[in-house]
Amino acid sequence: MRLRLFGLLLGLLGFVSALSAQGQKLLVVIEDESDKSKYSQFWSGLQDRGFQLSYRSPKDTTLSLFLHGEPAYSHLLLLPTKSKGFGPSLTPNLIVDFVNGGSNVLLALSAEQGIPSAVSSLLLELDISLPPDRNSLVVDHFNYDTQSAGEGHDVLLLPSPSTNTKKGIKNFFSVDGLIAFPHAVGQVLGNASPLLASVLKAPSTAYTYNPKDDSSEGLEDVFATGAQLNLVSAFQARNSARFTVLGSSEALEDKWFDASVSLPGKTATGQKTANKAFAHALSAWTFKELGVLRVNSVTHHLAEDTRAGITNSTAVSAAPGDVNPEIYRIKNRVHYSISLSEYAGTHWIPFTPPAGDEVQLEFSMLSPFHRLNLTPSPDQSHPNNATTYSADFVLPDQHGIFNFFLEHRRPFYTNVEEKRTVSVRQFAHDEWPRSFVISAAFPWIGGIWITVAGWVGFVALWVYSKPEAARRELKVGGAGKR
Amino acid sequence: MFFQGETGRNTRGLLRLIILCTIAAAAVASRLFSVIRFESIIHEFDPWFNFRATKYLVQHGFYPFWDWFDDRTWHPLGRVTGGTLYPGLMVTSGAIYHLLRFLTFPVDIRNICVLLAPAFSGLTAFATYLLTSEMSDSPSAGLLAACFMGITPGYISRSVAGSYDNEAIAIFLLVYTFYLWIKAVKVGSIMWGALTALFYGYMVSAWGGYVFITNLIPLHAFVLICMGRFSPRLYVSYTTWYALGTLASMQIPFVGFLPIRSSDHMAALGIFGLIQLVAFAEYIRGQLPSKQFQVLLRAMVLVVFAVAFGGLVLLTVSGTIAPWSGRFYSLWDTGYAKIHIPIIASVSEHQPTAWPAFFFDLNMLIWLFPAGVYMCFRTLKDEHVFIVIYAVLASYFAGVMVRLMLTLTPIVCVAAAMALSQILDTFLVADTPTSTTPSDTPHANGSTTSNGSTSTTTTASALKDKLTSALPSTLRSTKSPLVGIHSYLSKSLTAGALTAYLLLFVLHCTWVTSNAYSSPSVVLASRLPDGSQHIIDDYREAYQWLRQNTATNAKVMSWWDYGYQIGGMADRPTLVDNNTWNNTHIATVGKAMSSREEVSWPIMRQHEVDYVLVVFGGLLGYSGDDINKFLWMVRIAEGIWPDEVKERDYFTPRGEYRIDDEATPTMRNSLMYKMSYYNYASLFPAGQATDRVRGSRLPSQGPELTTVEEAFTSENWIIRIYKVKGEDNLGRGLGEAVGFGRGNKRKSSGRGKGKGRGARTLRVD
Repeated sequence: MRLRLFGLLLGLLGFVSALSAQGQKLLVVIEDESDKSKYSQFWSGLQDRGFQLSYRSPKDTTLSLFLHGEPAYSHLLLLPTKSKGFGPSLTPNLIVDFVNGGSNVLLALSAEQGIPSAVSSLLLELDISLPPDRNSLVVDHFNYDTQSAGEGHDVLLLPSPSTNTKKGIKNFFSVDGLIAFPHAVGQVLGNASPLLASVLKAPSTAYTYNPKDDSSEGLEDVFATGAQLNLVSAFQARNSARFTVLGSSEALEDKWFDASVSLPGKTATGQKTANKAFAHALSAWTFKELGVLRVNSVTHHLAEDTRAGITNSTAVSAAPGDVNPEIYRIKNRVHYSISLSEYAGTHWIPFTPPAGDEVQLEFSMLSPFHRLNLTPSPDQSHPNNATTYSADFVLPDQHGIFNFFLEHRRPFYTNVEEKRTVSVRQFAHDEWPRSFVISAAFPWIGGIWITVAGWVGFVALWVYSKPEAARRELKVGGAGKR
Repeated sequence: MFFQGETGRNTRGLLRLIILCTIAAAAVASRLFSVIRFESIIHEFDPWFNFRATKYLVQHGFYPFWDWFDDRTWHPLGRVTGGTLYPGLMVTSGAIYHLLRFLTFPVDIRNICVLLAPAFSGLTAFATYLLTSEMSDSPSAGLLAACFMGITPGYISRSVAGSYDNEAIAIFLLVYTFYLWIKAVKVGSIMWGALTALFYGYMVSAWGGYVFITNLIPLHAFVLICMGRFSPRLYVSYTTWYALGTLASMQIPFVGFLPIRSSDHMAALGIFGLIQLVAFAEYIRGQLPSKQFQVLLRAMVLVVFAVAFGGLVLLTVSGTIAPWSGRFYSLWDTGYAKIHIPIIASVSEHQPTAWPAFFFDLNMLIWLFPAGVYMCFRTLKDEHVFIVIYAVLASYFAGVMVRLMLTLTPIVCVAAAMALSQILDTFLVADTPTSTTPSDTPHANGSTTSNGSTSTTTTASALKDKLTSALPSTLRSTKSPLVGIHSYLSKSLTAGALTAYLLLFVLHCTWVTSNAYSSPSVVLASRLPDGSQHIIDDYREAYQWLRQNTATNAKVMSWWDYGYQIGGMADRPTLVDNNTWNNTHIATVGKAMSSREEVSWPIMRQHEVDYVLVVFGGLLGYSGDDINKFLWMVRIAEGIWPDEVKERDYFTPRGEYRIDDEATPTMRNSLMYKMSYYNYASLFPAGQATDRVRGSRLPSQGPELTTVEEAFTSENWIIRIYKVKGEDNLGRGLGEAVGFGRGNKRKSSGRGKGKGRGARTLRVD
């Protein structure tokens, strides 16, 4: 509903070059007003895409994420702070409530400023673990920028995330060129949560290191190494609110947007970083300009015109013309279709799942009775904006209260969960085939008619032979009674 | 002058009619206590379903009702309600409703339903009159029986106004079918046999207790055959009844092919076969000399018995004939249900009857009853055999199950009335008898037991005309020569004592009806200290809350006792209800109630439960609450999941069922316990929380809930409704989410700095 409303707004605000599918109000929490200028390119990029930015300091006492109990902003960008947390108006509980309210959060961390303990505990709720040491950062002795971090090896240069995506998962974050991650905080994702997805992993040679801890103990028992370290991780809550953790806030700074960097051991030097494009992609995804799915309509109806010669049913049932009826009969043939659109930054386009993925429908009661791949076709009414996914199938031979349940949860796409409940009733008493069309019933029907004929014949015989019998009975019985 | 000659007979007829009408009126009136005290409301549990079904029938018409798939019970399985109920009751009220509409009486269907049972009790009184009149020639016997039937508590318990249950019309049909059967056996006409079958069909459509008729009539026929009383009358009436009645019963979808496939009905089929053979044998006997006949008969009996028995065993083993149902076994072995079918044993009306219950429900009839049965033995005609069989069987069944007291009541009324009328007819004759009554004596000697009944009836009726003016012609059944009581003292003493007994009986019946059987159990009444009545209306308060504050399709989980009420009053889908057709589904609910929250929550989510309703009587001292029923939930759940739910875990090591500090952890962690006592301590000063039903002090630390949240608690805390939480938005466990909300920090999952933590689990993606 809400999404659809914004779809309407989209038409009105067509002049804006890009627009979030959810809302434009973006709260930037930045501790130091003077640091604002460091990110000027990033800000202007966001503003060009239609976001209304408000900058607030976490110390600001008037700062509140909620207005009348509803989230006051659609999006929140948290830049690192030096103190132990973001203050009383941005406690982990409030941020969780903000996410539960459906708003998106982009959290940028920095090893330079340290990891506030409040942030650690907030991320633990999302099943993301941060290094226990405040100043731990990710170093890599093979993929660092020789120009800026020749000594520290703490400015990582990574290729675009396009290489580490799996089949069936759409990659929204691929950019041309290397991405620079200065002083990054590595995150480790928990195994349990299916809501987490990794956007960018550290190279296999990276590890966490605390520069303040000189003892060798830290190196022997490192927090995490290699691909277990995530530099950018994405969390999408069940209500499709997005929470992105960016390991390095400096990657968003102007300084790195078009810096020239070079990998060790390579002859070619002075490569341009792709940070600007990556920051664009990351913020676009987090703030719902990308990967947003919309359900335009869900319909189901009977897919059989005549009920095989049965027309006299008196039971409560669905007529062939009804759209979305509440009741079907077992073994009815039904047609289900759902129209899906995907948001492409400025407008809605037909949704096509990435290769290797399907849109699936379950017809379930307690457990699925059918799990079907839906076949796509252009939407009849909006061929340029939507795809219709549909399936024809025969309802199971089991009455009950069933759900047409479409649950499409994929990493980086908003969740689609459409449940349409229908009752499936049994055959009515007059929907069974009549006895005379069942060949196995012929002997029985024959038996009935033979009995009838035999009885009639017997009666005829009886009537014919009546007088004699009556006379005899009169003599005997009559005398006895008197 | 009015009581003599032709006029006298007419006057008596009129008087009898007036008396019957008065009895019917008294029967109706004595059932109206609850309407006057409370209001016109449907009672208890099952009537709520019947009421809902009737509304459906009236609203949608007959055929949609016939094919009704009910998607608001047994979620998500649904119930093929049209095919799994006895439609007689609903159709009857529907017909009355449409008839009144047709006559332009716009009566609310609810009022028809509420008053149907009293109305039919008037008819039952009439049917009892007819039945008793067939047994005894004394007109007073019939009237007394009608009177007893009208007010005896054993029948009133199931037919007060608002008790809209199958029994409401079924008892009338039972008695009337028996009357027609007796009539058919007496007369031997196809018409009466067909009428018996018709009312038998009606009975089948109305109540599962029809099996009683299905077995009693064949038993009667069988006993008659064994007594050597086979007659063409019996043959005609039995075959007519069986053929037509079986066809009629098979028209009810719920019964379907049971009459030819289930063991419960095999007796009727067997007797049908037997009676053909006997009839054939009778025919042969007429044709053959007796010696040959003897040999033939013996051979035939052996062969037929072997073939029939072998066939029955074979069919039962191969599964064509369903074996006896569990309910049937529990009739013979009272311990059977408790061991094998806890769901049947858990119903209080399936418990064996306590001795006082007989006196409570039947009062003085219970000691008149044997006397009446004895009198049947004295003039053992075909119909008296029926009374004897009925009396023996019904007495046994009433002893096994409280609920079957209902089938015993009619026969008790009939037998007691026969005994009492005998006494009254003897002692209430004002005239001093003349020393000899020559014409009556020979006929009273019981020489006419087996075959000459028709001729005696005619002679007796001829004699009646002569004797009407002098004596009521009732003493024909005594074997002794007719003598009367000469002393007015003994006459008046006996009559006075009987009158006193009868008055006491009326008093008792009224008292029982008023105090024990007129509570709707939906509304509770209590007395305040000053003696005024206080209505406790928590049930309706809660159901109304559900109706007004939840989505129309919000599924409510509760123990099955309340399913029909939730469906009827709150109009919300339920998981299980009083139609206990799916034991596994009930066990699922029992498991959800008796397990830890972490176990129950996935079950509730899978069944799409939105609200959980529990009944808690601890505050008010209302003992019929869910904690007291809790062990049945555990037992029923244990029947399906013996590894996960164990009854022993709910008892302390000393074998006590406790809810206080010493309650077992399993008990205290069960969802039912938590929901019952959640926040209960807050009503009391610290450490003073007391449960008034169990009479024990509760732990100072009340239970905490994480997967459900309190949505509603009624005024007296009888009904508590909880809302089931959805999945946590951030994918955490609900316990963790609640802990985080309270400020607990989540533990880092083993990735700390410490040593010796073992291998890490690595994320693969």
